Amino acid sequence: MKARAKVLVAGLAAAVAAIASAQQPAPPPPSFAAPNVSEQGARSMAATCAACHGTGGRSASGSSVPGLAGRPAESTVEAMKAFKDGKREATLMHQIAKAYSDAEIAALAAYFAKQPQ
Amino acid sequence: MSMQRRDFLKAGAAGFAVSLAGCAAMPGAAPKARVAVVGGGYGGATAAKYIRMLDPTIEVVLIEPNEAFVSCPISNLVLGGFKSMADITTPYTGLARHGVRVVRDTATAIDLERKQVRLARGDPVGFDRVVVSPGIDFMWEAMPALGSLDAQARLLHAWKAGPQTLQLRRALEAMPDGGVYVLAVPEAPYRCPPGPYERACQVAAYFKAAKGRSKVLLLDANPDVTSKGPLFKRAWSELYKDIIEYRPNSKAVDVDFRASVVKLDFGDVRGDVLNVLPPMKAGNIAAPFITANRRWCEVDWQTYESKAAKGVHVLGDSLQIAPLMPKSATMANGHGKVCAAAIVALINNEPPNPSPTLINTCYSMVSGKHAVHVASVHKYDERDRTMKAVPGSGGVSPAMSEIEGNYTMNWARNIWADTLG
Repeated sequence: MKARAKVLVAGLAAAVAAIASAQQPAPPPPSFAAPNVSEQGARSMAATCAACHGTGGRSASGSSVPGLAGRPAESTVEAMKAFKDGKREATLMHQIAKAYSDAEIAALAAYFAKQPQ
Repeated sequence: MSMQRRDFLKAGAAGFAVSLAGCAAMPGAAPKARVAVVGGGYGGATAAKYIRMLDPTIEVVLIEPNEAFVSCPISNLVLGGFKSMADITTPYTGLARHGVRVVRDTATAIDLERKQVRLARGDPVGFDRVVVSPGIDFMWEAMPALGSLDAQARLLHAWKAGPQTLQLRRALEAMPDGGVYVLAVPEAPYRCPPGPYERACQVAAYFKAAKGRSKVLLLDANPDVTSKGPLFKRAWSELYKDIIEYRPNSKAVDVDFRASVVKLDFGDVRGDVLNVLPPMKAGNIAAPFITANRRWCEVDWQTYESKAAKGVHVLGDSLQIAPLMPKSATMANGHGKVCAAAIVALINNEPPNPSPTLINTCYSMVSGKHAVHVASVHKYDERDRTMKAVPGSGGVSPAMSEIEGNYTMNWARNIWADTLG
């Protein structure tokens, strides 16, 4: 009984919150800093890939997640664009790839191509 | 470009000389600067390693009380019986190969006037810049019964992987079949948003295999599952029907050890094994740098320099999060790299990267084999000076899968190597 009353209260609160948010003007679109595609910028972007693909794109031996180090730039660009356009099936790379512009993808691919395997 | 590469090679050679000579005596050339890093978790260890990778002429001293790194991610699988403590433990020796000096001690204070980290046992460590990455500590004051150190030590949270992880596993093993395991989740924000729901799955998987009449009771202070809600709820109904009971809006306000009871706003809940997560805040050593809600530390997202003190950089779960940024291992690892690059730039009188990015990839194992994920990409917003998720990117799994279970373990191996290897 008590639990039910709490559920009702929570439902009411959620409804009020939904109405309040519907009345708020949409937030302005983000104003992201210009993509940094310099050598330093590409290195910084590439570092965010390492949690899954290994430091410098060198994946742990036997890993089912492919390494990126030393991979030809065209091949990385092609894969990223296919993920981005939804042409290549993935578990999560299609969700990640959508965050990067063509220029950022090119800079990332060029950076990884130069890394030792 | 070739110039930069030559500089890098030169710097690498200098680093080699330092690491050879560093053990026996001070090398001929004094280091350019010294960075002290407090805390060897996903944030601190990553920052220490990457500073040395980017500029081996900077001396880095990492202060960490534990002998080895024990990962919070994957630690729920120890509770499920699918992994051992050894599987989630990595030594700190890998950092020495990068020339990071690891000092096994507890930082007791950061003295900004003398630019020293004071230690519980050893001599203070001087610094030019300090990285503070202590993870979380608990707000014991939120529960009256947790006023004494004895009571605090008795509380089984297992929210810092280590001895408590094993202690909780043993408590579950010792629990008679037909018993009730109670997990109390605090209001967000807390470390690892999906962690409690993954833990419920792992404990339920153990019960399903070993003691089928036992129950998992999930008391959530939040109005709903805070991360991957539909995916967890589907796993609960498909895999653990009649084992897991979920109660939203059920905030634990105290605990009674003698009666084995969790006290809620309305009524008590008895359990055989109590796993209560008190509300959390920035790790104690970061207390002087707390600026938000008396709990978290705010930073400049381009450099991770504290808004409270110059020359102090704060990382990881201690941070006041940016919108949609979870307190996760992948995030802390990402903070460590952006901060490392910024510190190297600042020490070399260069501008830090004006547009840092972060990726969050967070897997949860809903059984011994199946996982689900949430992923997001965050970029620096110049106008609001914060990190924002990139619209149109990111998302969650359509359903639990074995392939994501496999990717989870590969993520773990690669992030452990990236952080400590």
